[in-house]
Amino acid sequence: MCFRCAELNRRSLLIGGGVAAASLSTGVAQARIRPADMRPLIGPGFRPTDRDEIGLWQQMDRVEEEVSGSNILIKDPQLIRYLQNLIGEVGGPAAKDMRIYLARIPEFNAVMFPSGFSVIFTGLLLRMRNEAQLAGVIAHESGHFLRRHMIRMWRDMRMKSDLLSIGAMVAGVAGGAAGVNTGDITQLAQLGTLLSLFKYNRTMEAEADAMGARLLAEKNYPAIEMANTWEQLIGEADASARHRRKRRDRGRSLFATHPSPESRMIDLKISAAEVTVPGRTYDSRRARYLQAISPIRQMILDDQVKLNDPGASQYLIETLARDGWNGLLRFYEAEIWRLRNRQGDAQRAAQGYAIAVAYPDAPPDAWRWHGLSLIKAGRQAEGRVALSRYLRMQPNAADAPFIRQMIS
Amino acid sequence: MTRTPKLLLAALALAVAGCSSTGGGGIGSEYYSLVRVRSIHVGDGSMAVTAPRPWNRTRTSIFSFEDVRQVEDWTLNGPLLDNISFITGLRNNRQIIYQRRTEDRQVPRFRSDMSAPEITAMLETFFRTRAGSIEFRTLSLKPRLFLGANGFQFDFEHLDSDELWRRGRAVGAVIDGRLYLILFDAARSHYYANSIGDFEAIVASARRRR
Amino acid sequence: MRHLGIALALALSVPVAGCVQTRQFADLQFTPPQGDYRLLVMRPDVTVNSVTTGGMPEPRADWTEQARAHIIAALRAQQAARGGNVQIIARRNELRGVSEDVVADLERLHAAVGNSIALHKYLGAYLPTKPRRGLDYTLGAEAVELGRRTGYDYALFMHAEDNIVSSGRVALQVLGVAGCIVGFCAPNIGGGGQFAYASLVDLKTGDVVWFNVVQTGSQIAGLKFGDIRSPQGAAQLVERLTGRMKPGYEVRRATGRS
Repeated sequence: MCFRCAELNRRSLLIGGGVAAASLSTGVAQARIRPADMRPLIGPGFRPTDRDEIGLWQQMDRVEEEVSGSNILIKDPQLIRYLQNLIGEVGGPAAKDMRIYLARIPEFNAVMFPSGFSVIFTGLLLRMRNEAQLAGVIAHESGHFLRRHMIRMWRDMRMKSDLLSIGAMVAGVAGGAAGVNTGDITQLAQLGTLLSLFKYNRTMEAEADAMGARLLAEKNYPAIEMANTWEQLIGEADASARHRRKRRDRGRSLFATHPSPESRMIDLKISAAEVTVPGRTYDSRRARYLQAISPIRQMILDDQVKLNDPGASQYLIETLARDGWNGLLRFYEAEIWRLRNRQGDAQRAAQGYAIAVAYPDAPPDAWRWHGLSLIKAGRQAEGRVALSRYLRMQPNAADAPFIRQMIS
Repeated sequence: MTRTPKLLLAALALAVAGCSSTGGGGIGSEYYSLVRVRSIHVGDGSMAVTAPRPWNRTRTSIFSFEDVRQVEDWTLNGPLLDNISFITGLRNNRQIIYQRRTEDRQVPRFRSDMSAPEITAMLETFFRTRAGSIEFRTLSLKPRLFLGANGFQFDFEHLDSDELWRRGRAVGAVIDGRLYLILFDAARSHYYANSIGDFEAIVASARRRR
Repeated sequence: MRHLGIALALALSVPVAGCVQTRQFADLQFTPPQGDYRLLVMRPDVTVNSVTTGGMPEPRADWTEQARAHIIAALRAQQAARGGNVQIIARRNELRGVSEDVVADLERLHAAVGNSIALHKYLGAYLPTKPRRGLDYTLGAEAVELGRRTGYDYALFMHAEDNIVSSGRVALQVLGVAGCIVGFCAPNIGGGGQFAYASLVDLKTGDVVWFNVVQTGSQIAGLKFGDIRSPQGAAQLVERLTGRMKPGYEVRRATGRS
């Protein structure tokens, strides 16, 4: 048919990170673990008895102390209680009374420790479309916990890195550097150390996925939402890379610790089908989720958009908007364009603000930027009206003196 | 406008691996030079200021592609504690820091038609993506004359990833399509108050040169 | 991590063979506290890692707790011998009359100040406005307020990291050195080593009046530097760090000592 068709298809598949990409790589994806085969290895009230595991728990207690003292935490009691209840629901045995720490970090991540605490990043809450997706992440983390991956991984890593180093030395390669992860997140005071500590291998990730699917279905959440979460993450990373005209960064924090997301997504779809009982009702509980995070929703959207990663932010907002546009999402979409500021973006943003303010839930800043865009476009009178509206909505705005002078 | 880590590693790479490197006077002021109390040209030379007391300016090199010629940094106690940055005559479409085209998160470029809110938004994204700020608050934005032009004063504070709150003030204006700005940023406890007076004196002394 | 930068950077510059580097900086007029003074020792920030053969530092909680306990005990013993009145706080909520947040904020400020001192006085990024001799750093009003509220005269902050090299690594090290002789130098995988600093803050002024850095390193594993998991090792580190507090330059000059 066409000479370059095959090449184009392959390239677009790789960029798109779609399902077919997995089958292009040699061999089938890592053997999937069936949810039915997963049983918890620990029960409520578990305590370690091995010396090194005891040592690890003590370390985690110290880490928890540091984490709890961090000023990067969000302490909204209602939100924390919501998260705690959710963890109690899908965390399996031993997850009741887990201590939750919500950190204001615009990254997707969550981690649970057997010593009884969890850390969740606000970037995760931003990306979840509904409660089932969040429950899926929690159930997955619980899987690591219930299958005792942490201590197994620690011992496994230790053995492996010894072998690696000898091999590397003999080969004359600069092996085994200080072993310190200097990725972005580990610049953080204490929270960063958590993530560099635990990298699971593929088998363990598969176990956690299987366990997670099982736990989700048991509580009547649609297990397919776990696969959807990965699809969203892959999509976002691809959109981000596409915008910067480069390949998706495999070193990007999440994918560095969770390799081959595409094949996991495929496996999760199969697992979800296995645990779904025909005829039973499953509920993703979207409304409840949005209600629970409403106190911080604007803040976490703000934190993300202001990073000026237009590909990722745009994808994210469009994903959230699949469940319906509103003033907040329209406003932040316009913000993405304003910061991106490519040819024509100023006009796009201006139109976006105009659309946003038509919604009843448009935040005061939407009026502010709407007014500023109008003035920039030479429509002084309309701009002044919009800015006055902004000042009425927020009379003590920090920039009120400047804005007042603009409209006087 | 960089935080310390790169400087730290660079310093260490040079620090001699040996017991003699206990920090004697050997290396000298490799990274900083002295700002004396007289009118000096900053950035690309298009602005002159006078400091009320000696400060330290970061040495830049024409060989370093990462330095932006129009931007210059000073410090009194070290960049972890206090900073003054000068942006001098930055043109349309230029960046305030060096960044690769392929970086996921980018500080927006300066445009000549930017209003004060847009310029402050550019600075905010700088703090969030380059300076490790987890939280950023605008304290106030008001009109202010700078270099004889209608400019603005921006007061802000931010919580950074070392869990320390820092506070800052920027005074700037767009003149003939170019950005002139002086930014002060310091630890909120003690260090901000310690040098805000210096900053104000420097701003008052600022003159544009042809 | 606040201290990651320093530790990482130092790991890159671990001194050749084995040596101990100690360097003190003090206000020109500094006199070590004597007699009836009240000293507050802030939460010692201790981490002991096991450096496995692969070079991965494994934070060993049991070793860390051991080291911390010994360091605290050594501090108590040392300060008792000096005749001061010392409280060592192990947790942020142990200081009566002062909230956890206040303690936390002071710790954070000190981390920035301590790292700045290490960077700009010890590690080579000198600031021309700073005096060659003497120390010109302060914690400011926040520290003075703490002193006022609690009645302490001085506060001692301490940070210590230790990397204990496992025996598997000793074998590798030998290999590495051999490689060097043949002409190919395997890069240092980081031997064992300690990095620690202590700073003394005068709570009347908030100034850091004395600062000490101890850095020990060894590319040759097998050379031990007093394991801080043992009482003797911890005491040795504490002694190196805080034991020989020298007076400031002008005081030494005036008394004819150096």
